[in-house]
Amino acid sequence: MQSLTTPLLFVIALAVIGYFVAKSRAMQVAGGDIRLLVSLPRQHALSTTLATLVPACGAVLLFALYSRIAGTTPGWFLSLVILGLGVTGFALSLIGIKIESRARTYSERWIMALLIFSSTIAIMTTVGIVFSMLFETFNFFGQYDWRDFFFSTTWSPNFRGNSDLGIIPLLWGTLYVSFIALLFAVPIGLFAAIYLSEYASPRMRSVAKPAIEILAGIPTIVYGLFALITVGPLLRDYFAEPMGFGQSASSVMTAGLVMGIMLIPFVSSLSDDIINAVPQAMRDGSLGLGATPSETIRQVVIPAALPGIVGAILLAASRAIGETMIVVLGAGAAARLSLNPFEAMTTVTVKIVSQLTGDTDFASPETLVAFALGLTLFVITLGLNVFALYIVRKYREQYE
Amino acid sequence: MEDMIHMDRAMSAQQDIKISAKGVQVYYGDNHAIKDVDVEIEDKTVTAFIGPSGCGKSTFLRCINRMNDTIDVARVTGDIRIDGEDIYDPKVDPVQLRAKVGMVFQKPNPFPKSIYDNVAYGPKIHGLARNKADLDEIVEKSLRKAALWNEAKDRLDSPGTGLSGGQQQRLCIARAIATAPEVLLMDEPCSALDPIATAQVEELIDELRQSYSVVIVTHSMQQAARVSQRTAFFHLGNLVEYDTTDKIFTNPQDPRTESYISGRIG
Repeated sequence: MQSLTTPLLFVIALAVIGYFVAKSRAMQVAGGDIRLLVSLPRQHALSTTLATLVPACGAVLLFALYSRIAGTTPGWFLSLVILGLGVTGFALSLIGIKIESRARTYSERWIMALLIFSSTIAIMTTVGIVFSMLFETFNFFGQYDWRDFFFSTTWSPNFRGNSDLGIIPLLWGTLYVSFIALLFAVPIGLFAAIYLSEYASPRMRSVAKPAIEILAGIPTIVYGLFALITVGPLLRDYFAEPMGFGQSASSVMTAGLVMGIMLIPFVSSLSDDIINAVPQAMRDGSLGLGATPSETIRQVVIPAALPGIVGAILLAASRAIGETMIVVLGAGAAARLSLNPFEAMTTVTVKIVSQLTGDTDFASPETLVAFALGLTLFVITLGLNVFALYIVRKYREQYE
Repeated sequence: MEDMIHMDRAMSAQQDIKISAKGVQVYYGDNHAIKDVDVEIEDKTVTAFIGPSGCGKSTFLRCINRMNDTIDVARVTGDIRIDGEDIYDPKVDPVQLRAKVGMVFQKPNPFPKSIYDNVAYGPKIHGLARNKADLDEIVEKSLRKAALWNEAKDRLDSPGTGLSGGQQQRLCIARAIATAPEVLLMDEPCSALDPIATAQVEELIDELRQSYSVVIVTHSMQQAARVSQRTAFFHLGNLVEYDTTDKIFTNPQDPRTESYISGRIG
């Protein structure tokens, strides 16, 4: 990487210089009268800057990716290519400045290239993450049988080797906590959204909506503390112990409840937008037939908004599955297969952290299992997101 | 005996008048949208409301089934009676009223449900059918009355939104008919339709006159002349003139009506 940074900095400097040089050159070509120019000096300047910068940046990204995959450090030759691209763009643009040249159109093209470049970075990052996980996961399955990983019901890592690394207890904990979280978040969030969009006066709405969205701004570690010192003991003293479910303060219920509170703004904010997007004509039609507001909401508005609401819920589910901090502090770290919601359990994400934070050999299966866990989790949330998109697309054209 | 005859006459006179409005005022916030409107709408008649945009004809229409109640800033005063019963009386449930006074809107607005469920929506809410066979019958009858049965009978389970614009509007009419209303309010029902679909809906309106009192708001004077027996001309929130359609279009009394129908204002 080091060897690519220097030429990149040089190209950026060249782009900045190019801006001012091109501007004054355009003025000079026009003889000081900008009315003669087809494109304005600043348009020539922008076009030159972009022509210098964009191809070089693209090359940097490409070379960086290539050297990462090939496992080599980029050599002086690649640096030279980047420099060459920058200088060529710079020079060609400056030479091309004439009275009749259409720099506006050129810069339009360069801007499109820049936008494509940005979206490529986003996509390539996803691909990069998947690949880095894949390699380590392959290493893991080279040392540990995949059948034991996916089907064993015990999780007991042993740092001297000979561990049981079955994903099922962790997956069970993850799904159980997420399920409880959604059980709280979906009805509360949805009802809040219905109140906000259908019943609340504009003044009430302008106060209540930001107030609910404050919940989304609380860091998850703060939620975790809330679970640890308030919700956990409360549930233990008033529910678990009197009802004979156990004495543990950290439990699936604690984590699920607090996570549910965290998810409320996700569900309510998205659902509120979606319910508002249902055309007023639908409500008028229903009210005009003599339906009450609640009948209208139940039978017309919610069905019309359902695909979007399902999308919102699945998005919240992805968040719940990936959540770590609340689980560490709320549900504990003991991998266990149990139906009792007042028992301490743990989730995949928590175990990823704990497997990677020990001072063990990085190549041992006890560490590498973190990548297999991460990839499994990624596949699950990806599947959920794809499913959400599918639902939304399939039912989107129902009204309009 | 004489009293009896008198009462009889009063009753028959009352039966002819379906909707009677006196001194109706509507305010949208500070805007005085309807100014002191008196009108008597006959049963089994098509009454057209015409007038330039923003003259209050749709607003007045929405008073008749209390749809203005759903708008926060709207305020209605005055006296509107259907069959002699004050519909703004606190005893009256606007929800029940709207089942009795059906409404068809400007843009066809079928629900995102099947054709069958669209029509069955009102009857289900109001409990008009004892069983599924009853409901099937109501749906078929309503679709037949709305002249949509032949086109829709083989696709009752497909979504109502998949129909063409004219079919959708007739579906909305069928949906309104299905709750067995006594009055049908139509707010520019053809403004989103092409000429052929418009002709079909107009023909339908003429047939609906047999069973209902129909009130239609329209921008098209030709349409008012074609479908209505009585016409009311609104201007700037006032009811300027109300008479038989023939008279309004051939011999208007008010100079404003004359200017409007000859295209000088509006």
